[in-house]
Amino acid sequence: MSGKKTTKQILMEKTKERGRTPLYSPEALQKIKEGFNGWMSSTVREQDRENWEVTPHTLLGSDIPRKLIYTPLDNTDLDYIEDLGFSEGEPYTRGIHANMYRGQAFTMRQLSGAGSPEEVNGRIRMLLDHGATGVNLALDLATVQMFDSDEPESIGQVGTVGVPIDCVEDMEAIFKDVPIDKVSASIVTHFPRNTAIIFPMYLVMAERRGIPWDKLPGSVQNDFIMENAVRSAIEYIPPRDCFRVQCDNIEFIRKNVPKWNYITLNGYNLREYGTSGVTEMAVALANAIEIMEEMDRRGYHDVDWVAERMAFFWAPANDFFEEVGRLRAMRKLWYQLMKYRFGAKKPRSMWMRCHVQTSGISLMREEPMNNIVRAAYHALAAILGGAQSLHVDSYDEAYSVPSEESSLISLRTQQIIEAETMVTQVVDPLGGSFYVEALTKEMFERILGELDEIENLGGIVKAVESGWLQRKVTSTIQQEQKMVETGDIKVVAQNYHRASDVKLPQVKVQEYSEDLHKRMQEKLERLRQHRDAKQVEKNLDTLRRTCKEGGNVTAACLEAARVGVTEGEMRRAFSDAFGLWRAPIYA
Amino acid sequence: MAREEKGIKVLLCQPPLETHSRGVFTVAGILRDAGMEVVYIGNSTPAQVIETAVQEDADVVGVSTLCGGELVLGNEMLRLAEEKGIKERTLFLMGGIFPPDDIPKLKQVGFGGVFPPASTGKEIISCINTGVSSKRKSRK
Repeated sequence: MSGKKTTKQILMEKTKERGRTPLYSPEALQKIKEGFNGWMSSTVREQDRENWEVTPHTLLGSDIPRKLIYTPLDNTDLDYIEDLGFSEGEPYTRGIHANMYRGQAFTMRQLSGAGSPEEVNGRIRMLLDHGATGVNLALDLATVQMFDSDEPESIGQVGTVGVPIDCVEDMEAIFKDVPIDKVSASIVTHFPRNTAIIFPMYLVMAERRGIPWDKLPGSVQNDFIMENAVRSAIEYIPPRDCFRVQCDNIEFIRKNVPKWNYITLNGYNLREYGTSGVTEMAVALANAIEIMEEMDRRGYHDVDWVAERMAFFWAPANDFFEEVGRLRAMRKLWYQLMKYRFGAKKPRSMWMRCHVQTSGISLMREEPMNNIVRAAYHALAAILGGAQSLHVDSYDEAYSVPSEESSLISLRTQQIIEAETMVTQVVDPLGGSFYVEALTKEMFERILGELDEIENLGGIVKAVESGWLQRKVTSTIQQEQKMVETGDIKVVAQNYHRASDVKLPQVKVQEYSEDLHKRMQEKLERLRQHRDAKQVEKNLDTLRRTCKEGGNVTAACLEAARVGVTEGEMRRAFSDAFGLWRAPIYA
Repeated sequence: MAREEKGIKVLLCQPPLETHSRGVFTVAGILRDAGMEVVYIGNSTPAQVIETAVQEDADVVGVSTLCGGELVLGNEMLRLAEEKGIKERTLFLMGGIFPPDDIPKLKQVGFGGVFPPASTGKEIISCINTGVSSKRKSRK
């Protein structure tokens, strides 16, 4: 990056050239100012004048100070066309579609997982039957960490928080009779390596059902931040190699599965791990920038072709208006980045398209039904912020993965927002609020400021290699815990208005199934007996060589999946080839 | 140095496949601030945990688990602790997300403290101070 201009510098120069036409005339502002001063001295109480700005503290908050009231005086520079525009018009602050939710409601995409591939198939079909419009597939821990169900590390973890996938046959069972050419599937692969292993299994499944890859809608996560900085793991490959696998997936998917979102830049899990909404977005943006540069190095100079399938994943939490503001800010920032830094031409590549999942960390174990209310507010903020797709966390979050009942309540929460509250009838209903516009501007500047900090460190891969990001998170969560314990952060029914007699409710949780573990082990045994061992070895060799010598690892994994190579076998090939990395830990 | 004059040494870990570390890092900070020596070994199998606990001569082993399987893993860990002869002198703690019904079961197999979400630093520190002092007395 040295010698190169940072994004902040580029955007400041480009937007300056455009000039500004403030919404409020100097005369109007003068009149408001006089009125404001008069009101301040005659009506506002002294104590409120002294505490004009307060800093609200909440879980995962940004600690931005807030004034008592917002007026045009907090938006003196606001230029309607430059800052807001119209929906589906630059700078997209107000939304990416002209008619927003009137045209199409947000996709209701509840996570489904836990249990055997067959049971998960049942849950997916239940949600679709009740009006869900997308699939969101959670994987069990063994699958996320790329271990086969029969490895010793998997004991106690098969099928607990998601579905186990070892091979193509499991993918076939999960999606049996699900119209995968019509219903979009989000496969929560987490890591780049995991994506390289699991997604080709989905493609082989589609191929066997005779569904062409160019008909498949959906998304994978594929984010190296998840692998190297957010998730804890027994094995990591070095960040630079992990970033390469991320980009191999992007290249392969972009070329072969054109309707598929090849990455979901994952702010969500970073936020939930312990960052503000500002860092969440700055880190995702920094990754996006390095991807664009890497694809350019690989010879893909058409930035529109590359960027039009980039998608984001955010975590709306407690601070309601801030959440709305930052989604709006991020749309404008993504637009400016793509247009001014990368020279994008097509609107689609300048659209910040996002899936959101309501914050799980913000849900509490005490009086868990309260979580239905919390999640509904998070969801409402996401919708007022213009999100494309939504998962609402369930009230039993602090106990277990959602039961069928709690999962349905989450879906119903979405449907109530969509059909009963009427908030979907008008585009960007909070646009123009003095407060929300001031917050949107503040969030824009803070996100851009943190992006600048990361770029000055040499980019996001370096910021992860050096432990900068990990240190930032650890210090945030330790600080936050102190504020919860002192009561500076209020948590209802936990440290604020706590009931004198806290009774634990009867929450039905999923029991660990030894039987499922056994069935998965037996299935693997049968697979290993029936597949062509020579082909397996040959494909694993190719995969190791591709990792070491170059070429696309996703393509190598696809061939391996076809001949029955399992997930764990592919993981070991990656680890052998790249070697293992120890994350800088700042516990 | 006599055992009781030494500071308290805590080994913190997660099961091999656990993806979450927010809880364990939060607790690590709390314990360090309270003057304890914290050794964080990250994702580890029960066998690795017990082996390290022996090597480090840890007073406390804390396991953070959020994704189920706590009974299977907890049982295995304490079985190995017994086998290696450290079960009686070590305080085993577990924190994270688990069904309420599992808490008495974990205590029954030998976990001296079980901490679901919203447990406070004070509770954890007090459990460690009491638990370690009684374990050290029984060592004499």
